[in-house]
Amino acid sequence: MTGALYATPAAVLVGLFFVVPLLLVVWMSLHRWPLLGNPRLNAPDNYTAVVDNALVASAAWFTLRYTVLITALLFVIAFGLALLVQNRRPGVGFFRTAFFLPMTVGFASASLLFLGLLSEEIGPLPAGGDSPALGSAVLLVLWRFAGFNMLILLTGLQAIPLDVYEAARIDGASRWQVFGRITVPLMRPTIALVLTMMITGSLLAFDQFWILTRGGPDNSTTSLVMVIYREAFVRLDLGSAAGISVVLLVLLAVVSSVQFAVLRRRSA
Amino acid sequence: MRTSYYVTGSALAILFLFPLVWSGWASVRTDTGFGLENYARLFTSSNGIRAVHVLNSVVVSALTVTGTLVVATFAGYAFGRFRFLGRDLLFLLTLAILMVPYATILIALYVLLSWLGLEDSLVGLSLVLIVFQLPFSVFMMRNSFEAVPVELEESARVDGCSSVGTLVRIMLPAVRPGLVTVGLFAFLTSWSEFFAPLILLNSTDEFTAVLAVVNMRTASHGSIDYAALEAGVVFMALPCLVLFAFMQRSYVRGFTSGALKG
Amino acid sequence: MKAKLAAVALLLATAACGADEPGAADDGATLTLWTRAATEAVSKAYADAYNASHRNKVEVTAYPNEEYPAKLASAAGARSLPDLFAADVVFAPQYASQGLWADVTDQFQSLPFKDSVAPSHVRAGTWEGRTHAVPHTIDLSVMLYNKDLYAKAGLDPEKPPRTLAEFAEHARKIDQLGGDVHGTYFGGNCGGCVEFTFWPSVWAAGGEVLDAEGRTALVDSPEMAEVFAVYRDLYDQGVASPASKAEAGPTWLGALQSGKVGIAPAPSVWLDAIEAKGVKTGLAPIPGLTGGESTFVGGDAIGIGATSGKAQQAWDFLAWTMSDEAQVEVIAQRKGVPVRTDLAANRHSSADPRLVTANGLVAKGKTPYARNFNATFNDPQGPWLTTVRGALFGNAGQALATGNEAITKSLRQG
Repeated sequence: MTGALYATPAAVLVGLFFVVPLLLVVWMSLHRWPLLGNPRLNAPDNYTAVVDNALVASAAWFTLRYTVLITALLFVIAFGLALLVQNRRPGVGFFRTAFFLPMTVGFASASLLFLGLLSEEIGPLPAGGDSPALGSAVLLVLWRFAGFNMLILLTGLQAIPLDVYEAARIDGASRWQVFGRITVPLMRPTIALVLTMMITGSLLAFDQFWILTRGGPDNSTTSLVMVIYREAFVRLDLGSAAGISVVLLVLLAVVSSVQFAVLRRRSA
Repeated sequence: MRTSYYVTGSALAILFLFPLVWSGWASVRTDTGFGLENYARLFTSSNGIRAVHVLNSVVVSALTVTGTLVVATFAGYAFGRFRFLGRDLLFLLTLAILMVPYATILIALYVLLSWLGLEDSLVGLSLVLIVFQLPFSVFMMRNSFEAVPVELEESARVDGCSSVGTLVRIMLPAVRPGLVTVGLFAFLTSWSEFFAPLILLNSTDEFTAVLAVVNMRTASHGSIDYAALEAGVVFMALPCLVLFAFMQRSYVRGFTSGALKG
Repeated sequence: MKAKLAAVALLLATAACGADEPGAADDGATLTLWTRAATEAVSKAYADAYNASHRNKVEVTAYPNEEYPAKLASAAGARSLPDLFAADVVFAPQYASQGLWADVTDQFQSLPFKDSVAPSHVRAGTWEGRTHAVPHTIDLSVMLYNKDLYAKAGLDPEKPPRTLAEFAEHARKIDQLGGDVHGTYFGGNCGGCVEFTFWPSVWAAGGEVLDAEGRTALVDSPEMAEVFAVYRDLYDQGVASPASKAEAGPTWLGALQSGKVGIAPAPSVWLDAIEAKGVKTGLAPIPGLTGGESTFVGGDAIGIGATSGKAQQAWDFLAWTMSDEAQVEVIAQRKGVPVRTDLAANRHSSADPRLVTANGLVAKGKTPYARNFNATFNDPQGPWLTTVRGALFGNAGQALATGNEAITKSLRQG
């Protein structure tokens, strides 16, 4: 009972500011919902419209490719950094700080920083031309989040008891064998956490495209959340925006639960 | 081996630090050389940063950090040490906050805040920011409490401490690194959050500093005052960098003390 | 003195027709006014002058341009719109149709100068025959040209082009100066920029881009195709700056301020900003293919928030902003374009013939009308930008045909 009491503040906040709005979104997705005036039940129009919306299809395809790209790059880089700074030796503190520091700059600030950095006017890396829109967004995300993920992976690395490594070395295992047979399997929970955060974050990507590319050129960087934004705030069709959100939400829930189920079974 | 570690590490460090250093440099570069003109424009142009915006940002950050720490500590303690009805459901719901596209529930949140009489208020904004901090903070605090040896707590119980007394006197010191990590994270997010204040605040007097900086971006259609923009970026980043420098040790320990084991 | 008289006249007028209303129109109420950052300076100038001579107080809040529609939508959803809000005039039919602005038809009809209030703006704020918004600021598209580069290229700085073909010819001549000088510049990755600067040439040639109800696209017309072809050639030949292709708007003004561009269609309000950088600039109407002239009458419309409880006081402010006093002493004084056609020539504009030229265009120009204008034309995810990109940099014929279909579909979407 005491436990429930301690959990009450969180329960109230989560209920009021998450569950209630979430239910409202689901409710909205069943209606034609004008900004002012009375909503009218129109289920399942908002859901069938998701299928017909050509922009949703192209945005889903882009978001998927972006998620694979970011997850792969970010994971490899963050893991590499974690391996680089896992042992205590001179300078390691400085390196860790340097890699993590971009995280302390807010996402909006970081996006504005890159806007200047990549501008023709004052930027040292002007990103003129056609294709760099996606590149600049990827660069921004890698720069800002690599250090954070490094830190989480580092905690996993350091939780592996040193004697396990000792035993492997005595058995004559090569460095790659140690990495593949000991480090990775023992870090499975941490890896699961990092991957889930990366995938969720990328599937919901919005800010970086909003500030840096506006979804362009030629809709080549229009993510799913940008489509939701367009439905709600440009087309002023809240029901349609809610419909896409619910679909995306279900998708994310499925992806995350599958991921956790798979990883929990293996680690058990 | 050793040299390759230093070469790789230094090269990467330069890559990571370069944008930060560049923005500092760009913010003081002017047509004629170096100076603080860009900062002057940032603070004096009609839609630039005003003292009240900075004050608002401080208030929002303070409320968010305090609120997050209190709520996450209680919740973390509950999840880490007690069994109660709805425990798993609540935990799952808290984590699910990560999965909601922000743009979607903002209108619903706006409606809710006006029902509660908290529209256009820094308190309302802080409550929303606290909620978005909860997945990370509660997860972190739960693991921190779980990592504390049960014996420590039991000895306190034997000494006649109530559960609140145990929490305050025995447990809090034991989870301090976790608290620092959660608090700092809440500060970094609330200090520079852009979208929530934009939607939830209505009057210029309630604006936070970030809004003023982003306003600089679009002040005159057709041209961006990049130099003043970078000055704004530096101004926003500086408190974060300084705070991080001071708390870095505890922050990293918060992570490494097993707090983030899945 | 004149100000006082106008205020007295207004007081009398409102007192006469609103005698049985609770509270007079200027009773010391505080009115909130929202606007986008780009318009903030004008809104504040109106508010300052109004506050100085009235008991009501207007408080202006500006939001970042790009996020402003989202701000309005969420405020409307929560039924907490401000007392007054301005919006890009092309968004006006959508906001009027959604009922975000209160109906001001009767008040507007009682204005003595109602017939000379920028007609295309008034039309934009009208939905199903009812007036919901009135003009707040006017921004016209015109040709801006660099007089020094004209002279250097052997062109007469006092003879701007009178046809689009001549415009292209001038641009080519200036481009031949070489170095980093380019003949022209346009926002090739910005739907709003292209409609603002290209459509007047279609209109001047007698063509249309939309039907009158804003439900059918006509961008596959020969006029539109020819206009695109002119700019496409200029880009292909390197006469238009290569940066035109990626220009999404943010650095457009900067390009013209550099003094390296010969002649380009652009907003009239940039005249000052460009000359402030020491670039001697001429202003001319945007010509049609073989003559004629037109303009895109842009800017912001303003109305009373539908959820406001101070509609009467808010209208007092709106009526005042359209008065002679406000238009001459606030708008013309800061070199703006008056929202009234009968004030095109006034004591401020007479000092600069370029301003008279610009002001005179208001009556000749158009503001396109469509409920789904933003989603179709201005939004980067809309079908217009795809069409523009195809017509300028891809397969032009196909882009206009398929684009026309997509645009019509978007215009009719529920």
